[in-house]
Amino acid sequence: MTYRQNDSGGLGRRRFLTTAALSGATIVGATALGGIDADAAFASEPSLDPAIPKSSFVEGRITGITGSVLQVAGSYGDHARVQMTNATSVWKVRPTTAAEIEVGDGLYARGVPMPDGTVAADAVWVNIVNLDTTIRGIAKNRLHLSHGQHEFVGHVLPDTTNASYAGRALTSDLSRLRIGQSAQVLGAWRPSDDSVDVVRISVGH
Amino acid sequence: MACGSKSLWAGETSWFCCGSAWGPCGSAGGGACGNCRSSANHGAWPNASQACWDITRPDLCGENIPRRGCGAVMNVRHQCSGATVCITITDCGPRTKSWCGEATCCNGVCRTNRVLDLTPAAFSAIGNLSSGKLPVYIYE
Repeated sequence: MTYRQNDSGGLGRRRFLTTAALSGATIVGATALGGIDADAAFASEPSLDPAIPKSSFVEGRITGITGSVLQVAGSYGDHARVQMTNATSVWKVRPTTAAEIEVGDGLYARGVPMPDGTVAADAVWVNIVNLDTTIRGIAKNRLHLSHGQHEFVGHVLPDTTNASYAGRALTSDLSRLRIGQSAQVLGAWRPSDDSVDVVRISVGH
Repeated sequence: MACGSKSLWAGETSWFCCGSAWGPCGSAGGGACGNCRSSANHGAWPNASQACWDITRPDLCGENIPRRGCGAVMNVRHQCSGATVCITITDCGPRTKSWCGEATCCNGVCRTNRVLDLTPAAFSAIGNLSSGKLPVYIYE
């Protein structure tokens, strides 16, 4: 099945996802939606009534993967099933594919509730964290960070880790980081050792 | 409480985790109001209380943000896409004073200073978590 966008703005993204998830169709030319871009997703569909949820949100750890469905155990004892489609955007350290998702990963997902109880995912963020930290130590390929009472290692990834100083543009130069600085760390948690791959570290004044 | 349309503020929003959670977020706790949850449409406001204000000090960035305590309801709109989410304040933050002058832009128009933090549920309703920050208008 091929989906096309019409002149008036095209098939709504939610309808597109719903149809895709229901039909199991191979989606040809997803860029007809303007690209598989989580920023753009839902952007053209502002809420008419804030009391009515316009999308579903899923949070938790992945306990199983069956075909294109992720089983998720929520942090409050709830359970959800997340249906991946060809239109689902996936982030895990960087934009990637569903093949990178593993059992044990942490997940945030945004999507549309389906009649069968699954959530057809528009966007999935795997292991993503955005932490208010303090820099406790600096080594060549890693940072020692604390978040509240929790201390962890932040891995510096060549060609990935960037820094922003006092709101300025991102740079790969980490030499201006200092022990004791407060820093916002956007990265990806590693479930295997509880460390974090640092994607972006921002230090303020 | 209804989610209103009266303009309250504008600026940057970031996101944070709270409540029971996986990974490093597991130690975050329920926030200043005790009931903050990453999976709910919640937010943190820099002037949720006097004690909160003393930590965040948005005035040092020229942002004399009004007091809105636990349970306050706000409507947050992405500056460019128009996507909105209705949130309830359940925590204190962000530490605005640490980010004076920081700007986030879209379509060539920028918003400066961090004036709001959203939970992953709320932030993802109007933008991409991997962006880390969004320019927003805030209504009540």
